[in-house]
Amino acid sequence: MTGGLLRCENIHVAYGAFKALSGITHEFRPGHVYGLIGPNGAGKTTLMNALSGHVPVAQGRAFLDDRDVTGLSIHARTRAGLGRSFQITKIFAGMTVLENLEIAAFAHRYRVQPFWLPAGRFLKVREAAERVLEQVGLTRLAHRPAEYLSHGDQRALEVGLTLLGEPRVLLLDEPLAGVGNEQLERAIGLIQRIVTGRTVLLIEHNMDVVMRISHEILVMVQGQILATGSPEQVRNNPAVRSAYLGEEP
Amino acid sequence: MKTTWLGTALMGLIVGAMILVPFVWTGGEAANLVALILVWALFAIGFDLVFGTAGMLSFGHAALLGSGGYALAILTVAHGWGFMPALGMAALVGAAMAFGLSIFAVRVSGLFFSLLTLALAQMIYVLASTKLRGLTGGLDGIAGVPRPALFGIDLYDNDNFYVFIVVVFLIGLGLMALLRASPFGRSLRAVQANEVRAAQLGYNVQRLRQAAFVISGAYAGVAGSLLASLIFYISPQMLHWSVSGDVLIMTVLGGKGTLLGPVLGVAVFELLKEELSQYTQYWYGILGAVFIAATIFLPNGIAGLFAPRRDRDKGEGR
Ligand SMILES: Nc1ncnc2c1ncn2[C@@H]1O[C@H](COP(=O)(O)OP(=O)(O)OP(=O)(O)O)[C@@H](O)[C@H]1O
Ligand SMILES: [Mg+2]
Repeated sequence: MTGGLLRCENIHVAYGAFKALSGITHEFRPGHVYGLIGPNGAGKTTLMNALSGHVPVAQGRAFLDDRDVTGLSIHARTRAGLGRSFQITKIFAGMTVLENLEIAAFAHRYRVQPFWLPAGRFLKVREAAERVLEQVGLTRLAHRPAEYLSHGDQRALEVGLTLLGEPRVLLLDEPLAGVGNEQLERAIGLIQRIVTGRTVLLIEHNMDVVMRISHEILVMVQGQILATGSPEQVRNNPAVRSAYLGEEP
Repeated sequence: MKTTWLGTALMGLIVGAMILVPFVWTGGEAANLVALILVWALFAIGFDLVFGTAGMLSFGHAALLGSGGYALAILTVAHGWGFMPALGMAALVGAAMAFGLSIFAVRVSGLFFSLLTLALAQMIYVLASTKLRGLTGGLDGIAGVPRPALFGIDLYDNDNFYVFIVVVFLIGLGLMALLRASPFGRSLRAVQANEVRAAQLGYNVQRLRQAAFVISGAYAGVAGSLLASLIFYISPQMLHWSVSGDVLIMTVLGGKGTLLGPVLGVAVFELLKEELSQYTQYWYGILGAVFIAATIFLPNGIAGLFAPRRDRDKGEGR
């Protein structure tokens, strides 16, 4: 996988009078994992929404491999190499796990969806979906309707859906949120496997996990980046400790 | 909602049996009724691609049915076109009309989509009844809509014309089965199930909705033509909003989001109408009561009877 340079320049997002993001500037280098941490309401999800096209930016630009993607629609950014998982699971209810993944595979492979053959006849798509099915550990649930999966399995499917687009840049919004203890190690292992070789923004409240996986940590507070640095530096940064970790310096 | 293969087979058997009735009971009467059902079923199948598969409640489908019917009537009666080219053109006109509506309508979603399609369709109804009188014959409509002339067979004979309609219906049904099973059909279901996720995966949601609407328009165009030809007549009644309401009721009654459900819904609707209207002028009110009872006791429509129990209990069309 080549490329995958993501740049934000002075990004502002406003919900009415409320400024959710005020001037986010950062460069996300190819193949690196960036942990995005900060208290509830800091604007972490909003930053991902701005980068993937779900909310309009009031000011500022976003670049993917030096292509200005600021004005592009959601699907156009996906086709430009961006993948995204959501904090609140977004899967296709009423379809099986395998069908969910096949839908993702079809989106990636065809600009105009074939209408002249039954979907089951596309063996390459089936294979691609089955590969990801195995990768996220859901093979035994392939034919289960997605809405009947446990929360942890739904989170795994959520991540699987993003993988079929073979994104160079991957935005993961709390992939471990709500995953039970018994499934946690498996989920962490999955995240660790899929982030390698991609540019990744990872929002995660589990500090051990972010610190372990990330090359660099960004601390967001009130719509701004408070501090950046290696996990070690951020852990020892007094401002971060007081603002976020709630400790006295 | 998914029906089991056995359920689908049973529904297919019922539809097949219905299609065979006029071959046994000749004389034109049965043929006329089942022809009417099949033509409306073609309309409903197309409507359900938008409604049941893509998840958009269009309230403007009368405009698509009517414009197809008018296209055929005007081309054959006023311009001397042959029936088959005019039928093809009616499909295109239905599709083009759908495309025109969709430019405005797919930008909005939910209730606004329904209201906007209703408003646009009403505009066309008013235009056809008044301003475009020269073209459409105004409220008088156009009489003498012809039937096709094929292989020297007399299609003014109802039993013969019925065969023609069965063939068109089966082609339309087969194409729709393929569309629904294709990756395109799946992408429409994906858009309905989770629009945001579909867009995030790279689907152009607006374009997909538009495509569904346009295909639906072609179905409506063909159905409108056949309807005009079946009764030799077209008037603005075919553009009336109640037509959009009827096709909605038929589809919900039969089971939205299934291939054969709408066909059964049309059949039940038309048969009840045929029976009830012989006894009372308030047949539409009774039909309404039947419809309300059906939505309570058969939330997935008639097709819900053929679904696995787990899906049936969920009480929602999927
Ligand atoms: N659609 C919206 N309309 C109005 N305000 C919003 C909207 N979405 C988010 N906000 C507000 O913007 C702020 C940032 O929200 P955001 O979801 O980005 O926070 P977050 O850092 O992801 O928090 P969490 O850790 O709880 O997920 C919050 O105060 C939130 O209430
Ligand atoms: Mg968030």
